[in-house]
Amino acid sequence: MGLKNSLHNFREKNKDKKWLPAFSAIHTFLFLPNETTHNGTHIKAADDLKRTMNIVIMAMVPCLIFGMFNAGYQHHVAFGDIQQATGGFFSSEFWTMDNFMVGFWKVLPLVIVSYGVGLAIEILFAIKNSHEVEEGYLVTGMLVPLIIPIDTPLWMLAVAVAFGVVIGKEVFGGTGMNILNPALTIRAFLFFAYPTWMSGDKVWVQGAVARDKAIAAGENLDAISGETILGSLAQNKGAGYDVMDMFYGLIPGSVGETSTLIILIGAGILIFTKIGSWRIMLSSVLGALAMGLIFNFAVSSEWITESSKFYGLMSTTWWHHLLIGGFAFGTVFMATDPVTASQTNKGKWIYGFLVGFISIMIRVFNPAYPEGVMLAILLMNVFAPTIDHYVVQGNVKKRMKRLKVKTA
Amino acid sequence: MLEHLELFFKSIFIDNMVFATFLGMCSYLAVSKKVSTAVGLGAAVIFVLAITVPLNWLLDQYILQPGALSWMGPEYADYDLSFLSFIMFIATIATMVQLVEIVVEKFSPSLYNSLGIFLPLIAVNCAILGGSLFMQSREIETLGLATTYGVGSGIGWFLAILAIAAIREKIRYSNVPPALRGLGITFIITGLMAIGFMSFGGMLTGGDEETKEDTTVEVQVTPTDDNTELANNTKIEE
Repeated sequence: MGLKNSLHNFREKNKDKKWLPAFSAIHTFLFLPNETTHNGTHIKAADDLKRTMNIVIMAMVPCLIFGMFNAGYQHHVAFGDIQQATGGFFSSEFWTMDNFMVGFWKVLPLVIVSYGVGLAIEILFAIKNSHEVEEGYLVTGMLVPLIIPIDTPLWMLAVAVAFGVVIGKEVFGGTGMNILNPALTIRAFLFFAYPTWMSGDKVWVQGAVARDKAIAAGENLDAISGETILGSLAQNKGAGYDVMDMFYGLIPGSVGETSTLIILIGAGILIFTKIGSWRIMLSSVLGALAMGLIFNFAVSSEWITESSKFYGLMSTTWWHHLLIGGFAFGTVFMATDPVTASQTNKGKWIYGFLVGFISIMIRVFNPAYPEGVMLAILLMNVFAPTIDHYVVQGNVKKRMKRLKVKTA
Repeated sequence: MLEHLELFFKSIFIDNMVFATFLGMCSYLAVSKKVSTAVGLGAAVIFVLAITVPLNWLLDQYILQPGALSWMGPEYADYDLSFLSFIMFIATIATMVQLVEIVVEKFSPSLYNSLGIFLPLIAVNCAILGGSLFMQSREIETLGLATTYGVGSGIGWFLAILAIAAIREKIRYSNVPPALRGLGITFIITGLMAIGFMSFGGMLTGGDEETKEDTTVEVQVTPTDDNTELANNTKIEE
């Protein structure tokens, strides 16, 4: 009781100070504010912005923890310290403290830098514009470490976060106003500004880049390769992992994207709490499957032969596309972003379907970007307002017609 | 057929007039406040590009290219009038826009009214001249392909202005910092949209950009009022 009251009194005392938003951000993080609204109509609901954001973060925490285990596991397997786990998801080689600690010490700095830089900028803008710190960055700050390669240098992350938060969000007026998903803007910035750190076969396993440098410096070591499944498919080398490994996520990739099983748990939480739109998730899965089937058909009717550079990805069984790469993660956590996605129900179906459709298309046709989900979602973010506009216009027209029938 | 499809797709998404080459920005920025007007302008651009690119292709093929005049007789075979491209293309575009305006006004006053000032404005839209010049520099081979290219570029521009108009309608009530309101935020949005469109960059070409060969023929023109002398001066020196 004492702390709550003294914090509240402190806040009352400093009501006109410039830095107050910074204080109240931390204050409301700890306690509910003491003030209530006084006049006008009230809606009493439990799901304020902060709680919404917290639920999304809770849905992502399993991904984060699994990602830490997987980072260590990939590291140890690639360096030959342990054998590949045979028992699938529950194998004891995977869930070891050793694996976890390697991942933990690599992922934690990413999380800290992402939150530190992002929230610092948010607070600066809040003080400058004298409004409360908005909670929007809570989710973005958690998404970013999950969608980048584990060895990304921290300064790059800091630069990208600064870009994403300022250009991607704050210039539009902050949370709820942005056009593109900020987390994806950050990743796209990294992707186009520092391509060597964001793709290739070295970046996905912790230590592989450092090992490469050591070899270049003349040390007698084995090179480490941690190609993602998409990367090796794009080079017609075959997947190299079996389906259950893809599903459980014991594969190289960004920190949080690998395990479809864990992401499904997150999706369940989001759908159950009605925070993520099941329409978008379902329709983008449908879109991806449709594109996968089209490509499979192209292969089975022998338009595409083994000599083609697209063969590897086109011949991938249609539903495997859902398991590999970042498709599941992007669909569940980023395509459903309520700010940048379509906001009408019909629009959500169209938007989601195109996200799935285009991401598989980019994945297959664009050898420069083996991961299509990020760019597909960004592209559809651009067109989401257009879709909404026409859905709304269509509704207006329909109602006008109904009105005419009634009055005639 | 396949090459038509490829060129069509390429000119809409990969070499998008706005996001890949940043052409036609003036009307793109000025007329994108409302979706309905943006659609009008976009449609007019598709229309004009679809007419002027093939026309200029004919002009380029039979008058302007080095050796294009050989149909008039062997003595004209080594003339090179390509230095006239800009003037000729612009003249074609301006004429066509005027003609189209007159025809549309005569036969479809409702379409004319809905297009309004945009139709004459298109004459000075650089995306239109850009379409013709790209057609020339990329050496598009047949009249059909040139038409495909014109229509595709137009649709690409149409999509761009449609999307930004919808976004600008959406952010109308956003709390944009005062210094950025209006054009500033529109430029930032355009940049962010271009990131979205980069998803198509490198598609179909296999990731590596074709190297463009710059073949410039140096031509010296001395001002004369005699046309035959002018033509003589422009012979390719071998």
